[in-house]
Amino acid sequence: MSQPLAAADPVSPGAPAPDAPPRPRRGSPVLRLLLARVLGVLVILFVISLLTFTLMYLAPGDLVKNLLGNRPASPEAIAAVRAQYRLDDPFLVRYFAWLGDALRGDFGVSIRMRQPVTQVIASRVGLTAALAGLAFLIALITAIPMGISSAARAGTVRDRLGSALALFGLSAPSFALAILLLYAFAMLIPIFPAYGAGTGFLDRVFHLVLPATVLAMGLGAILMRMTRAAMVRELSADYVTFARSRGVPERQVQRLALRNASIPIVTGAGLILTFLIGGTIIVETVFALPGIGLLLQEAVLFKDLPVVQAIVLLVALVIAIIAILVDLSYLLLDPRVRARELQS
Amino acid sequence: MIPRTLTRSRRGPRALITATALLAVGALTACSAGGPGGEAEEVTDSGKALEQVTVALPGSLANLYVGQESGVLNYYLASTVQEGLVGLDADGTLVPALAETWDTPDANTYVFTLRSDAVFHNGDPVTPEDVVFSLLQAKDATASPGLTWYLSNMKSVEKTGEHQVTVVTAEPDPAFIKNMTTAGATFVTQEKHWQEVDGAVGTADSLLLGSGPYAVTDFTPGESVTLERSDDWWGTPGKVESIRVEFIPDENTRLLAAQSGDIDIAFNVPLKQAQQWQESAGLRVDSVNDLSYVGLLFDQNVAPFDDLKVREAIAHSVDREAIVEKLLRGYGEAASTIMTPESITDQLDAEAARKLLASVPQLDFDLDAAKQALSESSVPEGFTAELAYPNTGPHLGTAAQSLAENLKQVGITLSVKEQPIETWLAGIGTGENGLGLMWYFSTTGDPAEVSSYLLAADNVNHVESEEMLGFFREANTAQTPEERLDLLMQAETLNAEQVINAPLWWGQSLTAFSDRVGIAEFSPYTFLGPWGAELFAAE
Repeated sequence: MSQPLAAADPVSPGAPAPDAPPRPRRGSPVLRLLLARVLGVLVILFVISLLTFTLMYLAPGDLVKNLLGNRPASPEAIAAVRAQYRLDDPFLVRYFAWLGDALRGDFGVSIRMRQPVTQVIASRVGLTAALAGLAFLIALITAIPMGISSAARAGTVRDRLGSALALFGLSAPSFALAILLLYAFAMLIPIFPAYGAGTGFLDRVFHLVLPATVLAMGLGAILMRMTRAAMVRELSADYVTFARSRGVPERQVQRLALRNASIPIVTGAGLILTFLIGGTIIVETVFALPGIGLLLQEAVLFKDLPVVQAIVLLVALVIAIIAILVDLSYLLLDPRVRARELQS
Repeated sequence: MIPRTLTRSRRGPRALITATALLAVGALTACSAGGPGGEAEEVTDSGKALEQVTVALPGSLANLYVGQESGVLNYYLASTVQEGLVGLDADGTLVPALAETWDTPDANTYVFTLRSDAVFHNGDPVTPEDVVFSLLQAKDATASPGLTWYLSNMKSVEKTGEHQVTVVTAEPDPAFIKNMTTAGATFVTQEKHWQEVDGAVGTADSLLLGSGPYAVTDFTPGESVTLERSDDWWGTPGKVESIRVEFIPDENTRLLAAQSGDIDIAFNVPLKQAQQWQESAGLRVDSVNDLSYVGLLFDQNVAPFDDLKVREAIAHSVDREAIVEKLLRGYGEAASTIMTPESITDQLDAEAARKLLASVPQLDFDLDAAKQALSESSVPEGFTAELAYPNTGPHLGTAAQSLAENLKQVGITLSVKEQPIETWLAGIGTGENGLGLMWYFSTTGDPAEVSSYLLAADNVNHVESEEMLGFFREANTAQTPEERLDLLMQAETLNAEQVINAPLWWGQSLTAFSDRVGIAEFSPYTFLGPWGAELFAAE
């Protein structure tokens, strides 16, 4: 192929796979790679924890006032509450006290709820994970086939329809979509419940269908556009023209192109999954779902620092893990990347 | 939301808004009397039992103990689970609760005789020791930050007999006894239970324990609370077996859920949605004056608001009648004073109360007079200022916008901005902005509750006036309610003359009911008492 160097760019592999990549030596190179990534993640988590702590410190609002309410307060009461939460300690002392506890696995007690932070988060993380997982699944199973089909028939009515739908999903604000779906499917045609998380597995999935669909629409739109773009590029590549000229059936040609388009698609899907986590706040509010998004929002406003720190770190960790998994998937998906990474 | 919010008074009682929840809107609700359009339909008790009633809260509760989270929604919920020593009836008059009788041998002493048949939801009897313990915890700033202020005047509380508890105040305060209600600061729980959970009461793991008509059987923060009728309650048991309280923060979702028949009672219906709720099949909306006050406050440490002429110019630019009629759609009443008419209806009838309050000098809407005042001020060329309102009170925002429009014609540029309620709360009285909005829900309905916060010692306007302090001091030692009211009126008059606060309106709250449910007596105090036991199945 004309551009062997393209293999160095995992996001836009312009070349088909060479026939016989050197067989990876097992073990150490992958481990080394993983180790480097994990160390990087730890550094990033540290930086993020310091940054979040700083921002919460600087943000408007006053924990003492949130606790005491809009009423007069005696100086003694204010002093007692400030002492209780060590608000008068210097910034760095407070940060390192938090860090020391966190490193020992103690993330503190929620000021608002008076329950251990780990317990508060554990009781809610399942719901948000289910919501995000279902939304991701819906986005995947709708957007990727749509993107492939649009690319295969680029320029046709079907392609244009698909693109218009994606544009709608992308541009409609999620709170408006949520209300629209609620009105349609909880009111006019009362199939789904209007709010709440449900109990038990099936009931929960049932309750999450509408919120997950809302989340999936915006994300699916991005994924569909990415899939379409990657496929269009592959389908116009020389090897596809060559394959077609040799009379290879179109299905097989598409499969070949999809394999080569998979790296940008997986990268896109990974990015979307990280966006999903932020998108849950609005959806959780509208559908009254007590998940992590809503909890984070309330904790930030209340200045419930232990909860904010723990959630931000959790989200950062999940995003980092997704990024690592996406990177590792390149090894599986593209032999050129595998060869290069393992040789280096 | 959570958070909390609002209000309070000086030695009295309380207030609040809430934070969290509260957020949303307002506060109480009640009666049928209605605002515009709100003529409540008469609903009669069918006498039948109801298995479950679903209540929607416009916000989410994080902790059920009012001392920890003291928003008005927390008050509502705790009031049907826990009890005070005394309670308030529909007129705001004291009635027995855990105390069957009470006596005030002198201005500083309150002797309560407890009923012997009260039991906690775990089956244990309510003892004087539990009452004393609960009050001491409520006074403690770290155990109960949301209640500590109300009991700052409590000097001691002791068991003085087998069924007797005596509370002594440091200084006389005629409004103090209202703190002994669940509209105030008294939510009796069991000492043993508190110790067992190490003070972390009201969480999902250590459910709120009380002795009221309903017991908490499940609490999922951010999601719901389940209440079951207590068969051991000393009063007439409720007709509803179970009350499911759902937290639905989004107002559109709440409306859709109610329209689909999922909700029986919705607190704090947003004013702008009143019509939609009313027109929905199977729903009715009742409004009630909710003891809330909205007004402008001027920080006198911040120029140019230290200039009386500037304050006059702004007060003349407020069109209270138009705000109430057009922006609040009639759900409210133009305020002539800080105290509400309802706070003095135990002394005067409604008409006489309004007449008395209207006798305080008023700065009427008059843009020419506003321009004139500004031209005589220290900033005759005008100035720019900022006015923040809480996200939970969008109607405060529209009122602020209308004020900004009027002020533009006068030569003052006002930029209006919305803030999360927590941020807005934190800004009150800090001197960051010279012009602010006050939004305060009185729960006890004492006439000095709000005015003492806004005018007496350490007030958020930073006004220091010996004359003003004297009125409140004397009011606390007044021999009769009439004498006390007269002194409070003098304080209101001085407030008006000096334009320390410019009252805007007294608020109403809207509550929606489904056709299958009614409540015995609907007043500003209904949800601050054992309301669960007052629900019934409508015919």
